[in-house]
Amino acid sequence: MMSALWVSKTGLSAQDMALHTISNNLANVSTIGFKRDRAVFEDLLYQVLQQPGAQSSQDTTLPSGLQLGTGVRIAGTQKMFGIGSMQTTEAPLDLAVEGRGFFQITMPDGSIGYTRDGQFRMDQDGQIVNSQGHPLEPVISIPEDAETITIGVDGTVSVMTKGNPAATQVGTVEIVNFVNPAGLQANGGNLFAETPASGSPQSGTAGTNGLGYILQGTLETSNVSVVEELVNMVSVQRAYEMNSKVVSTSDQMLQYLTQNV
Amino acid sequence: MDKLLYVAMSGAAQIDRAQTLHSNNLANVSTLGFRADLAQARSVQVYGDGFNGRVYALTEQPGSDFKQGPLMETGRDLDTAITGAGFFAVRGSDGVEAYSRSGDFVVDALGALRDGAGREVLGEGGPISVPSYDALFIGADGSVTIQPEGQGPEALVQLDRLKLVKPERGELSKGEDGLLHTTAGAPLQSSPEVALVAGFLENSNVNAVNEMTSILELARQFELQVRLMKSAQENDETATRLLRIN
Repeated sequence: MMSALWVSKTGLSAQDMALHTISNNLANVSTIGFKRDRAVFEDLLYQVLQQPGAQSSQDTTLPSGLQLGTGVRIAGTQKMFGIGSMQTTEAPLDLAVEGRGFFQITMPDGSIGYTRDGQFRMDQDGQIVNSQGHPLEPVISIPEDAETITIGVDGTVSVMTKGNPAATQVGTVEIVNFVNPAGLQANGGNLFAETPASGSPQSGTAGTNGLGYILQGTLETSNVSVVEELVNMVSVQRAYEMNSKVVSTSDQMLQYLTQNV
Repeated sequence: MDKLLYVAMSGAAQIDRAQTLHSNNLANVSTLGFRADLAQARSVQVYGDGFNGRVYALTEQPGSDFKQGPLMETGRDLDTAITGAGFFAVRGSDGVEAYSRSGDFVVDALGALRDGAGREVLGEGGPISVPSYDALFIGADGSVTIQPEGQGPEALVQLDRLKLVKPERGELSKGEDGLLHTTAGAPLQSSPEVALVAGFLENSNVNAVNEMTSILELARQFELQVRLMKSAQENDETATRLLRIN
């Protein structure tokens, strides 16, 4: 059968996957701490049908050969860890990392999830938890009688209690960094998991060793740029249309062949 | 049997190959740094018994189009595009130095600079290793500078320079892995003339309109060949009818 059909089929499925990435980015345009993905296209292997430079006779060689590509594939998606814009919220447990770094969340199975989403709350025991109720690591408990909670740029959590003029330090929010954050595995729920590609987490105090500062009362919004995604969507749609046109053209060629011979 | 049928059949088969080449270009219309393949047809005369009227067509790929593709602004520090002629040097899957135009670099867990497909990017002194950094800058000449983790902008460290080559016409041809390889075999010398721009990516240089038009034109040519096959069949039928003793 016509190989052009299969080549354009790879084009269609790659563009389809690219559209999937774009629509996921657009769907998460309001997700706090979301990092957009970018589809990476890669051309598939080439088949050498005629080797350039091969002997066409004893004394002559072929001046140019014929190598046919077999299409395209999505080599992967790249997480783009560009910083989102900062939104001020005034809620004391809304945190953002200004710079590099991730908050650590203890998952129900005991593993650690990493997130840039700093929408924290308190549970019934006064523990700081994320919006799914999983506790922040290291565990920080806010005393029941706390009136105000202050979180410093280095992550120090202190509370003021009634009748006590001095602030009490109750813990420190630690953040971690990875050599290659793009290698983290996105698990949904705004959480990432460590992989061999990301390297192991290097924890530290916020604001030191290249880690970002912690901002209280601030949230980092999604880093999706709507305009960029829409432009990408237009080009994906047109590329998809053109590849489907190749499919129908190849089909017409085959149809003409079967009807006339 | 009429030789016309075989000439037309080979014509249709060769058009099928050219069609594959153009659809591959079109499938790679969004592949970063992709260089469109060119197609040409060459006439090959067949000498044999009788009149030498048989000239077959042969589809060939004389090379790739090295025209500049459109630049897209991304703002990412590791995205790099070459403006004008030139190529990045990467280590292909066979371990041999090969050349590409795709500049969507990443730093892996071990600190190695790789391209989007995971191939090691080569500098003047071999593969580039990037320690943990706060900021990374790629200069217009390919020099990679970092601000090491936890240090101020006064402590910038220059790591290496990306190996950039500027081949002569015909020195590079596309290999089976889609990367460009030297025809002579020996790696190319780096060239100071190649200019980069950071924060940009170069898209595929496939001209979608050209490819679409070529595909439609080839489809019509294919129909023409099929029509000739049909004519050969009709000729044959007529000849059989004339010769039939009724």
